[in-house]
Amino acid sequence: MSDAVLSARGLVKSFPSGDRRLEVLRGVDFEVGAGETVSIRGESGSGKSTLLHLLAGLDTPDAGTVAWSGSPDTGAARRATYLGFVFQSFYLIPELDALQNVLMAARILRPPGAADLARAKDLLSRVGLAERQRHLPAHLSGGERQRVAVARALMNSPRLLLADEPTGNLDEQTGAAIIDLLLGLSAETKTALVLVTHNLAHASRCTRQLRLHLGRFE
Amino acid sequence: MPWYLYLALKQLFPTGRRFPFFTAISVLSVALGVALLVVVLGVMGGFGYQIRRMIVDTEGEIQIKARGLVADSRSVVKRVEAVPGVAGASPYAAGILMVQYQNKPAFPQMRGLDMASVERVVPLGKFVTAGSLDALDDDSVILSEGLAESLGVPIGGTLEIYTPLMLARKDLEVILPHSVRVVGVLRIGHQQLDSSTVYCTLRLAQDLYGLARDVHGLNVRLKPGANEDEVAARINAVLPPNIRAFSWMDSFADFLWILQLEKNMMMFVLLFVVLVAAFLTMSLLLVLVLKKTREIGLLGALGASRRQIALCFCLQGVGVGVVGTAAGLALGFTVLHFRNDLVHAITRLTGGQELLARFYQFSELPEHTEPRDLLVIVVAALVLSTLAGIIPAVMAGRLKPVEALRSE
Repeated sequence: MSDAVLSARGLVKSFPSGDRRLEVLRGVDFEVGAGETVSIRGESGSGKSTLLHLLAGLDTPDAGTVAWSGSPDTGAARRATYLGFVFQSFYLIPELDALQNVLMAARILRPPGAADLARAKDLLSRVGLAERQRHLPAHLSGGERQRVAVARALMNSPRLLLADEPTGNLDEQTGAAIIDLLLGLSAETKTALVLVTHNLAHASRCTRQLRLHLGRFE
Repeated sequence: MPWYLYLALKQLFPTGRRFPFFTAISVLSVALGVALLVVVLGVMGGFGYQIRRMIVDTEGEIQIKARGLVADSRSVVKRVEAVPGVAGASPYAAGILMVQYQNKPAFPQMRGLDMASVERVVPLGKFVTAGSLDALDDDSVILSEGLAESLGVPIGGTLEIYTPLMLARKDLEVILPHSVRVVGVLRIGHQQLDSSTVYCTLRLAQDLYGLARDVHGLNVRLKPGANEDEVAARINAVLPPNIRAFSWMDSFADFLWILQLEKNMMMFVLLFVVLVAAFLTMSLLLVLVLKKTREIGLLGALGASRRQIALCFCLQGVGVGVVGTAAGLALGFTVLHFRNDLVHAITRLTGGQELLARFYQFSELPEHTEPRDLLVIVVAALVLSTLAGIIPAVMAGRLKPVEALRSE
């Protein structure tokens, strides 16, 4: 059993493109330790998001393996407790207010109790949205929405946080604040963080920086 | 509450937001379909119920008939009234007459009643609106309200009666009408009977039809709670084989079958309205699935299973069905409650009030809702709405989270 929170070996992934297959990942090896922060940079189409989807168990590789804490079980049931995901487009549910969006992560596991409600409120306070918890996503700014998404990703105390260009839809100042938040919460909760970003400044703040080029880490 | 039910309810009825277009249109379409079914079947049921009540009110729950005529009716009445469950029996003679008042003819039904026993079977006295039932003797008649009005005959007026028996007399004989006094006017409340019926004593009817002491049959009233079929079987056991007792449902089986067939056909046709509403719900849910593709991806990323995601959309179909059915029942029963006000308003505008009464034989629009019909409506609406949710649900469940997330 490996100590790594996440380990991937020889990941290969291709997609059909016309009458041939486009190889996006060509044998990627990757490992993240507990509490470690890793950034992945790369050009558009270099396979960053594809890699993140494979690491999250949302997609299956053509070849290679992914393991969470040494276990190959990356199914939906384990995913709910093992990892949190932050997306570029926030993906908040528009019918639910900020508090209920955060609680949704717990709700998928069980009907939320008082402890879940208290944790969701606490997380919203920690991301600076204590006063906005009853607001619908439509009434929040882009930065506020992403902060709700960060709180949601941390709701089930995951061991691993995957962030797919979380600042891509935000201005520079708000983006920097979100990165501060992610790194701060990651350190505070000892959650490993994999940050996919184009931004060199953001990437350099992680303990380890990787660059994906032509389907392999440079 | 499981998350998929919570989210289904929130997407159908979000708090703090405008009522979603999808919910409003879907619920309204199911509600209108259900309301239409409730109103039409309620009114159809009302017509059927009125007709059934008219039969029982005027013919009793059991009819006794013979092949030919029933002889010695007194002895038959005694035997029938001794049967457990029987409240009373009354012999009758019936036929068609030609009546004339001041050269104005009419061809009403005749009903010859045994005055000694008729009240035990048909409470005629309470239907008399002018004159008196007690004044009825072998030289007088009581007319239904519609007949009295159409002939213009007053109480105390003299009516001339011709019977088919007179036509059978020899050619050279002069046919003399039977003159009778009008001693009353009667209104039962059923247009068919109130339009053209002559009520007379049994003896006068027997004379007019040359029946001697025989009768055409007997009507039997049962004690409350007695079962028609069981009592009819008991009566048949004490009667000679040529005289048979039939429950009113057997006597009018063909007519009742037609009534039921009409109602069933109407229900079948109107269920298509609910089916169309279900198709509308399905197409709107399909659009919703497409609109929510990225949210479906998110739910998958959060750890939701495909089955749970499918359930979330299927439950929205169920939710539309439940709320639409409830709203449809409320709307349907409200329309039924004010049906006569609505009909009167419409007929006042179109001037067709009299025609309506004449054509449908009821002055008021009747209503009677069978619990069985309601059950069929509710079950059909819920089943169709649930089915409408299944295809979008399968589509949502088949979406791979990663493909859904890539859809941006």
